[in-house]
Amino acid sequence: MTTEATLPSTSASPTARQVWTRARGVALAVVLLLVAAVVIATIRSDTRHGTLDPRSADPKGSRAVAELLADRGVDTRVVTTLDEARAAAAADTTLLVASPDLLTHRQQSWLRSTTADSGGRTVLVAPGSWSVERLVPGVTADPATSLDSELSPDCALPAAQRAGTADLGGVRYTTTHLDADECYPSERLATLLRVPESTGDSDSIVLGAPDILYNERLDEQGNASLALQLLGSRPHLVWYLPSLSDASAADSDDERSFFDLLPSGWLWGTLQLFIAAALAALWRARRLGPLVPEKLPVAIRASETVEGRARLYRKANARDRAATALRSTTRTRLAPLIGVPITQAHAPEALLPALSAHLHNHGDGQTLHTLLFGPPPSDDTALIALADQLDALEREVRRP
Amino acid sequence: MALTGRAALLAALGSLPVGIWDPSWTGILAVNAPLAAACACDFALAAPVRRLGLTRSGDTSVRLGESADVTLTITNPSGRLLRAHLRDAWPPSSWQPGTEVAASRHRVTVPAGERRRITTRLRPTRRGDRQADRVTIRSYGPLGLFTRQGAHKVPWTVRVLPPFTSRKHLPSKLARLRELDGRTSVLTRGEGTEFDSLREYVPGDDTRSIDWRATARQSTVAVRTWRPERDRHILLVLDTGRTSAGRVGDAPRLDASMDAALLLAALASRAGDRVDLLAYDRRVRALVQGRTASDVLPSLVNAMATLEPELVETDARGLTATALRTAPRHSLIVLLTTLDAAPIEEGLLPVLPQLTKRHTVLLASVADPHIAGMATARGNTDAVYEAAASAQAQNERHRTAEQLRRHGVTVVDATPEELAPALADAYLALKTAGRL
Repeated sequence: MTTEATLPSTSASPTARQVWTRARGVALAVVLLLVAAVVIATIRSDTRHGTLDPRSADPKGSRAVAELLADRGVDTRVVTTLDEARAAAAADTTLLVASPDLLTHRQQSWLRSTTADSGGRTVLVAPGSWSVERLVPGVTADPATSLDSELSPDCALPAAQRAGTADLGGVRYTTTHLDADECYPSERLATLLRVPESTGDSDSIVLGAPDILYNERLDEQGNASLALQLLGSRPHLVWYLPSLSDASAADSDDERSFFDLLPSGWLWGTLQLFIAAALAALWRARRLGPLVPEKLPVAIRASETVEGRARLYRKANARDRAATALRSTTRTRLAPLIGVPITQAHAPEALLPALSAHLHNHGDGQTLHTLLFGPPPSDDTALIALADQLDALEREVRRP
Repeated sequence: MALTGRAALLAALGSLPVGIWDPSWTGILAVNAPLAAACACDFALAAPVRRLGLTRSGDTSVRLGESADVTLTITNPSGRLLRAHLRDAWPPSSWQPGTEVAASRHRVTVPAGERRRITTRLRPTRRGDRQADRVTIRSYGPLGLFTRQGAHKVPWTVRVLPPFTSRKHLPSKLARLRELDGRTSVLTRGEGTEFDSLREYVPGDDTRSIDWRATARQSTVAVRTWRPERDRHILLVLDTGRTSAGRVGDAPRLDASMDAALLLAALASRAGDRVDLLAYDRRVRALVQGRTASDVLPSLVNAMATLEPELVETDARGLTATALRTAPRHSLIVLLTTLDAAPIEEGLLPVLPQLTKRHTVLLASVADPHIAGMATARGNTDAVYEAAASAQAQNERHRTAEQLRRHGVTVVDATPEELAPALADAYLALKTAGRL
C-alpha cells in the first residue's frame, strides 16, 4: 500500500469529470439547437398543416364544412387509400377527392372505373390537366389559371344560383359534354363544372379552387351555401385525402419483391450478421494509442545538382560544354603524368610535345591536338566517341 | 473502453439461432441482450487502468546502430488481476523499419497488488534524442469480450549518440603519433615545436641546426633536436548549414564530418592537445570548450548527438567572428564544411584572411563517391553527359581547393569512409611539421 501512495499518477486519459467539462459546451449547444428546431417547427407548422382535412380546425382546414354537414345529417368519413375510397363509392355517397393530382394515372383509372357507374357523386377539388382528363373524360384544364377569385354563377345549376357569388377561380375547364353545367366562368371558361354521367344517377363536380371548403373562407360570399349543396346531396360523404404512402401507388404491386421471396430466417440472420459486422468494425477501429509524430530530417542527395546539370546539358544538347569539361579533366589528369605543371596543362604548346614524347608510338600531333583541344563534336555519337578516345589516351599514357 | 474480436465473433455466431429458431426482433434481442450484459460485466470486472502505477528505468544513451533497453515497471494496486495488452510508444525512428509493431507491443499479466517489469528494446535509426510517447494499456475483462483502455505518460529520453565508426582507425593513428611524439625528435624548428635535446651530428643533418655553442664545449659536433609541442589548441568547427544536409550514401554530410571530427578529437586529446568544438550555421548550435583530455570525447559525442543540419545558408562572417572569439590563442582551426564553389567563394574566402592571420586553418570536405562514379560513366548519351557534368563539378572543386591553398589553408577532400583517416593524417602532418 505504501508503494501505491508514493507513485505519482501518470495517467494521461481524461477522467469522467474532465470529459464532462470538455463536452458540456458542445452538449449545451446541441440541446439549444434541438430546442430551437422544435420551437421553430411548432411555430411554423400551423400554416400548411392539415389542408383540406375535415378534422383540421386550421385556417386552411375543412372542419367547419364537415360540422355544418353533420348538423344537416350528412356523416363524413376520411379515407386515405384508394382501396378504401373505391370500397366506399355507392349511390348514396358523395366522394370528395381532395388533391387528385397526387394520384398516379393507374390510380386515376381505377377510381374512374369505380365512380363512373356507382350512382354517387364525385367532387374533384382543383384537378390539373394531370388528372382531370382521366377522372372526368371530356373535360380539359386550361393551362392559364384564373386571376379572379370572386365570381358570379352565370349558369342554370340550381345550387349555384342559390349560392350566388362565391370564391372560385383557380383552374379553368372546358368540356365537350353538351349537358354539363358550366358555372362561375372566368374569362368565358368555367371554374365549376357539373358533368352528369351518361348512364345512371352519377355525376362529377369539378372545382377550380378549394377556397370554398377552407375554414377561413367559409363565411364569405356564398361559399358555405355552395359547399353544403354540392357535398350534401347524398347522406354520406367520403373525404378521400390521397397520400403518397398508399401501397396502390406503386406500379409493380403485382410482382412480389426479392425480399418477399426469401425465407425470413435468412433476412433476420443477415441482420444479426450486420450487427456482428458493426461490432467487428468497432473492434478494429479502436487503436492502441495514437500515432507518434516525429520531425523528419530533410533527405537531399548531395549529387542532386550534378545530376540536374547533366540533364540540362542533355536537354540543351550542350555538346560544346560537355566536351570542354571532359577534355579539361583529361588534360588536368595527364599533365602530372607526363611532367607538365598543372598551371600549363591547358596550354597546347606545353602539353602536346610532352605528350607525344611520352607515348610509345609518339602519336600523331594533329590527332592529339584535335582530341584535346579540337572543335566541339557535331553530334551525340561523336561526343560518345570523344569520351572513349580520351579514356583510351589516358590508358595509353598510364601504361608503363 | 473497446470491444474485442471475441464479442464480434459471438455476435456473428448469434446469426444461426436468429435465423433458425426465431427470425424476428425477439430473436435478435434474445441474442444481443445477453451479449451486451456479458460485455458490461466484463467492463466492470476488468482491472482499472487509471490507477496503475508506471515507472521507467534503463539506458539513457546508446550509440547509433546499437540497441538500448528501457524497462517499464507496472504496479497493479487494484484488487483485480490485470490482463492487458500494452503499447510502449516511441517515435518511429526508434526502431528499424518494419519492426515497430513487434517491438512496441507487450502482453502483460499483473496479479492484484503485485508488479511486473517489461523491457522495450530500441534500435534507433538516427542520431538525436528519442522521447517516450504515451504508454497505452488495454485491460481485458475475465471473458475477453470487452476492455478498458487508457494511457499513461511516463517520460524517458534516450540520447542516440553518433556511431563513431572511424574509431577503428584510432590504433594505427596513435601508433604514428607515438613515433613523433617525444620519442622521435625532428630537426626542423617551427612554431609548434619545443627544444628537445642535443645529439651528435650525423651526415645528412641540416647544418643550420648545429648548435655551435654546444659544439665548442665538446669534441664532437652537436645538433639541436626539437619535438612537437604539447598542449596546442584545436578548434573543430562544424558547419551545420544547408550544405551539410546533402546526403552522401545514406547519411547526411554532417554525420561524416562528425565522424572525422571525433577521430581527430580522440587523436589530439591523446597527443596532449586541447580540443574545442563549435557548431555553427547562423548561430551557435553547439559549443564545447575547455574540457580535460579524459572528458573531451564524451562531451563532444553528447553535444553532437542532437545536431541536425539546418536548411539555411551558413553565415561565414559570423562563423569566423565566433571562431576567433572561441580561439583566442594560436590554434589549429579545422573547418568541416564543403568545397562547393558558391558558398566558399562568396562566404568564406572574403573573411578567410582574418582566420589565417592568427591561426592555422585546415578545411575538410566530404566528397561524394557517386559523383566520382558518374565521372567514369560511358556508353550512351545520358552517361556521357553525366560524366561531363561531374567532371565539371570536380573541376570546380579542384579550383576552389586551389584558391583555398593559395590562402595557406590545408584542404582535405575525401569520401565519407576516407575522410576521418585523411583528416587525422593531415593533423599528424601538421604536427610533424610543427605548424600547430
